[in-house]
Amino acid sequence: MKFAIESISKNSGRLGQLRIKDGGPDFKTPLLLQTTKGGSIPWLSADVFESHVSQKPQVLQFTLSTMDHMTEALTHWNSGGGRGLSDYVGLPGHLNILMLRDPCETTPSGGNDRDILPLFTRRGKESLSSERYMEMVASFKPDFYEGLCDADTNLESAKKRIQKSVDRTEKFMHYIYEHRGKVNSTLLAPIVGGYNTFARTQSIKHAREQPAGSYGGYIFEGFHTNGLSATTLDTSKLLPIVEHCVKQLEEDKPRLMPGAYTPLTILELIRQGIDMFDSSYAYCASLNFKALTFSFVQDAVEHAPFLDITDEAIKEDFTPPLSNCSCLTCQKHTRAYLHHLYKTNELLGPILLIVHNLHHYMAFFEKIRESVARDELPRLTEFVRNQNGKTQVDYSIAANTKVISKAAMGKGFAAAAV
Amino acid sequence: MGPSQIPPLTYKVVAECSVSKARAGLMTLRHSEVSTPVFMPVGTQGTLKGILPDQLIELNCQILLGNTYHLGLRPGIETLKKAGGLHKFMGWPRAILTDSGGFQMVSLLQLAEIDEHGVNFRSPFDNSQCMLTPEHSIQIQNAIGADIMMQLDDVVKTTTTGPRVEEAMERTIRWVDRCIEAHARDDDQSLFPIVQGGLDVPLRQRCVSALMERQVRGFAVGGLSGGESKHDFWRMVDVCTGYLPKDKPRYLMGVGFAADLVVCVALGIDMFDCVFPTRTARFGCALVDSGQLNLKQPKYKVDMEPIDKDCECSTCKRYTRSYLHHIATNESVSCSLLSIHNVAYQLRLMRGMREAIQRDEFPQFVADFMARHFKAEPVPAWIREALSAVNIQLPADPERTDDQEQKPKTEKRRETADVAEEQVASS
Repeated sequence: MKFAIESISKNSGRLGQLRIKDGGPDFKTPLLLQTTKGGSIPWLSADVFESHVSQKPQVLQFTLSTMDHMTEALTHWNSGGGRGLSDYVGLPGHLNILMLRDPCETTPSGGNDRDILPLFTRRGKESLSSERYMEMVASFKPDFYEGLCDADTNLESAKKRIQKSVDRTEKFMHYIYEHRGKVNSTLLAPIVGGYNTFARTQSIKHAREQPAGSYGGYIFEGFHTNGLSATTLDTSKLLPIVEHCVKQLEEDKPRLMPGAYTPLTILELIRQGIDMFDSSYAYCASLNFKALTFSFVQDAVEHAPFLDITDEAIKEDFTPPLSNCSCLTCQKHTRAYLHHLYKTNELLGPILLIVHNLHHYMAFFEKIRESVARDELPRLTEFVRNQNGKTQVDYSIAANTKVISKAAMGKGFAAAAV
Repeated sequence: MGPSQIPPLTYKVVAECSVSKARAGLMTLRHSEVSTPVFMPVGTQGTLKGILPDQLIELNCQILLGNTYHLGLRPGIETLKKAGGLHKFMGWPRAILTDSGGFQMVSLLQLAEIDEHGVNFRSPFDNSQCMLTPEHSIQIQNAIGADIMMQLDDVVKTTTTGPRVEEAMERTIRWVDRCIEAHARDDDQSLFPIVQGGLDVPLRQRCVSALMERQVRGFAVGGLSGGESKHDFWRMVDVCTGYLPKDKPRYLMGVGFAADLVVCVALGIDMFDCVFPTRTARFGCALVDSGQLNLKQPKYKVDMEPIDKDCECSTCKRYTRSYLHHIATNESVSCSLLSIHNVAYQLRLMRGMREAIQRDEFPQFVADFMARHFKAEPVPAWIREALSAVNIQLPADPERTDDQEQKPKTEKRRETADVAEEQVASS
């Protein structure tokens, strides 16, 4: 892995170039990782993703909590030679990073016993020891992998829980640093410690103590518990602690912050020097029937952050979800149709939504890189903040709890009997 | 000549099997040409489960089926009218066929009662008393704007016997006249009558000859595939195709298992529909010539082959049985992946039959298919009889071995109520 910083600016963060494999594609940072579920882009077949979202190589974010049951199969697959983890999930040519927790769903708290890490999967709670984890990494053979860490903290965590997360992570990592030579993947050193500067410093210190070349980058954990919790973070609490941490990191290593941070939070984190994020925000919006409509191209019109697909008002709105959008969904389908797919609980609904939301979010990241390169990130941030309105736009995502009302269904198919 | 002067449906036989009643044809509709024999995937509520219209076009799917009952409820007639019809509403440029809604009433609503006026039922939503008449059904279908629409028929359970069967057949004929009368868009949409008559040969014959007196562009065969014996099933199909005119397409409603398709094409059917390929996909099953693979079975865990090496669908090009095993029924993308394969399978099977008919090698195609489908198991007697009735003699069954693999277990799956069709876990 090679990571080269092209520019650093006090106001616009860092522009970098990441080459994960020799001869492989270069990725520009700030980079958006493609989050996956069970190895697939959420709701999308490889064919649909590559035909309608992007043909460029991506870095796929795999999570053990949705893929742990594939370990045995991957051992077989990877012994075949010439093919790897991305090929197994139908996405050859893309690179990947293996993480523990699914950033799309809320990770349950608790279960932090002894020397094991709880892994919450659809099949229940699994217990990961450091040994077992390294065996799984050896089976998966990812390009990057996250160091085993206790990330069960958030803004509300007590000091004791935070300290425990740091201590337990240190213990796990002790083993992993010692045995990392058994796998060929690049390690990302986990930085934990909630919102406590002392604990964060301790966690960073443990990573920095390792011999040079022990790991290829950093991954920040423990600011939220994934899912929608990341969309509602208080940035006035988050940013100072991130700033505190970033100062202590080696500059030449990429920094990843997984989770569904809002577009505005991402811009602020990039300014702090974070390099990599994931697409779980686009997933969370789609799951909760929101089409992303925020604008990042400066104009004079006021924009809403989302279009709420559940809104009855769009039942007969035959315009695209977002005008001027070039994605398949906006080119070929209408708000009314998406609303219908929501009402009928049809699988095509989330498919069309995530096609649009990923398209939009990836274009947003293009714009970010352009702005960083021109040292214009503050301008973009201000625009994204207010969307030409008078106040700051609310980008948080609330769970869709609307129940599809049967009474609201038409009776047009038949007349009342006389 | 303006489009309104071209009939909305023209059909011509392109090739006929010199042995059986099978024929290959070309049906030209307002939105698409359709090569027959054709299988029409079911897109109940204005979408085919988890598949983009673009993907269906890539599979060379030419015609979809929509359900009038569901579409009348959601999005409803008014929205469909404002959208300019279902084609525009769902972004599907090719042909659509709609049913009358009557079958859903009877199968979904236990309280449905049929009288001369129409189908009387309690709304499942607010329990109010509602009535679907032939006129209403046509009115909705005119709003949907499908290329082909179905008359409202009086559906009785296939296994019903006695005077009720005859009453239903006679009423179906009376209702087709009301449908024709109510049909307001005959320049764009073609209305098919439905042959009823239960399992009674003379009733079927009478029904066909009465319907043939009407000005229609094609015919449907209804009231089958509902639990009757296979022996009765094929004989009824054979009787109907024997009497129906050769120059019009024939649509057998609700049939879609591979072996049934092959037999019924031999008997002279041109069009089929069935929810089975997409429904079984949601249970993790993939269609292959030998039946279906239940990918949830542990034996696929480390099976690194595609579902079918010879299949050209996007799923078989990219995915192994092993990966599909791990995501089937867990990740919703598996539903899309298996639906694509299963629809591709059905369309490929139909294409194989069309090509075989055009080369006049259909009997050999049938023999080869049955050998692959049943492998070491004996070919069921009803299939031998049906094929024999149209002069296709299958070779004797191979010696029995202990190979029990992939026995088709499709029948069990069919109990699932139609309602389940709408309930797709979207998480």
